[in-house]
Amino acid sequence: MIEVKNITKRYGKFTAVDDISFDVKDGEIVGFLGPNGAGKSTTMNMITGFIEPNEGSIIINGYNMAKKPKKAKKQIGYMPENIPLYQELTVREFVNYMAELKLVSRKNRKEEINKILEKTGLTEVQKKLIKNLSRGYKQRVSMAGALVGNPDVLILDEPTVGLDPKQITEIRKLIKELGKEHTVILSTHILSEVSQICERVVIINHGKIIAIDTPENLEQKTQEKNSILLTVEDKKQNMQHLKEQIPEIQSLKFVKDNEDGTKQYMIESDAKVDLRKKLFEVLPKQDITIFELKKAENTLEDAFISLIDETQKEETKEGIKENTKKEEKDSQKQKKHKEKEESKKAKKEFNKQKEDKTKGGKK
Amino acid sequence: MWAVLKKEFKTYFLSPIGYVFIGLFLAMFSLLFYIITIYSGTVTYQAVFYNAVIYVLIFIIPLLTMRMFAEERKSGTEQLLMTSPRSIVGITLGKFIAATLVVVITELLTLIYLGILCYFKVPDMATVGVTMLGFLLLSMAYISLGMFISSLTENQIVAAIVTIAIFVVTWLLPNLSTSFLQFSLFEKFYPYVTGVFPITETINFVSLTIMFIVLTIIVLKRRKLVK
Repeated sequence: MIEVKNITKRYGKFTAVDDISFDVKDGEIVGFLGPNGAGKSTTMNMITGFIEPNEGSIIINGYNMAKKPKKAKKQIGYMPENIPLYQELTVREFVNYMAELKLVSRKNRKEEINKILEKTGLTEVQKKLIKNLSRGYKQRVSMAGALVGNPDVLILDEPTVGLDPKQITEIRKLIKELGKEHTVILSTHILSEVSQICERVVIINHGKIIAIDTPENLEQKTQEKNSILLTVEDKKQNMQHLKEQIPEIQSLKFVKDNEDGTKQYMIESDAKVDLRKKLFEVLPKQDITIFELKKAENTLEDAFISLIDETQKEETKEGIKENTKKEEKDSQKQKKHKEKEESKKAKKEFNKQKEDKTKGGKK
Repeated sequence: MWAVLKKEFKTYFLSPIGYVFIGLFLAMFSLLFYIITIYSGTVTYQAVFYNAVIYVLIFIIPLLTMRMFAEERKSGTEQLLMTSPRSIVGITLGKFIAATLVVVITELLTLIYLGILCYFKVPDMATVGVTMLGFLLLSMAYISLGMFISSLTENQIVAAIVTIAIFVVTWLLPNLSTSFLQFSLFEKFYPYVTGVFPITETINFVSLTIMFIVLTIIVLKRRKLVK
């Protein structure tokens, strides 16, 4: 169980993480999503106790990271970004060192190291120097380092970056398996990964949480329209009149000509209306043959992009508001300035007239 | 502490650094030994140590200290170390003692020269013992200083050059004015060579060592807030 309460991290004037709170239950796999520089790694570094938040507290399995760091850190296995490793050690030496650092008792050490090497598929390369390993293997070594000591919580910062597709599926499988016994937090850029592995998603942007929900809910929430991709053979050009036949259609767009006599269209309707049944009924009557009919699902990717866009729009709106305020102020200033100048001019003229008068009087 | 100590000590000899350190020191030591004892026909073994400190030790101690924290910081392994349930005090002491052990080994190896000298004439053993102890204390003070500098930067070369610069400056300062004598560690080493065990200087070296170890710990603890 991880409890993150109102943590904030500032670097000078820049706020990297702004008042974030969330819980991760035991045995849950939670994905951290967000564009680059959103504060994912900073948050993870704070959870692992590598950096200290300016405000707020982090409690891991009941141990407060600030007050009982030793016990709290013992609950965590961390696989940092960019897989830092001791290049001059062999795989086995490295895992052994991590085991020693994590206070694994001498009795169980050998057995546990063997178990972990097997789990991560490193048994064959255990005597190789880490610097001679390929990226995929290095990633596994880093994972082994996180797993050693059997921590309850695993924190994986971009565990699949730089791997080939086969390795990615292997690592994902491993993470899924680990999720059965451990609580896992992982960050990633790959959205399909999140919808495959994670039970819950935390989306962060500009150091703030935008959304916490299951991947499915997020996909549905952001789905405003129901879109259907339709491939048809339409010899009598009846598709243009389809809108009159089915009034629920909000828009009918021509996508492409397949050059084999079929054409592809995109039909959009309200999110609550499913037009598939009606299309099957109506189209044959119009001498239109359906080749393919597919519901275009809103992916997590769409959800992510729309959520990020929303926050950015809000920010720019605020920015514009501020700008207009500034402009108003500026124009007011200019007005005042003008008024002042005018009054100055008037005074000058008045003085001149006075002088002229006095001169004239002397003459 | 033991885990870090063991790994650090092993790393000195997995990489060429440990061998380079010992080899360089012994090579220069042989040369000094030849010039001072055999060539000039004296048995002042302690004088060899005195010269070794000035001409060798100050330039090669950074070999041991420059990578201590700078390398971990640059490669990111600092994250593994700092997120482990080990205390910062233990980590710092582990690294410090590992480097000190390398110096101890080097010193033990110099006993070969003492053996050679004894074949001709046995020198005053008490003086030699005190000198070797002073040498170790001085090295510890240097190592802690080097470690402190290494904890400030992520560039090993910067760490090494700054450390050497500080050593050289404290060595040369008394030449400018005698009021700088207090800053010169070599001057503090001199009493050991005379064969008297100087309590003041010993306390001086030990407190310097502790001071820089504590400063290193403070730097590492503060980094948690700043990073």
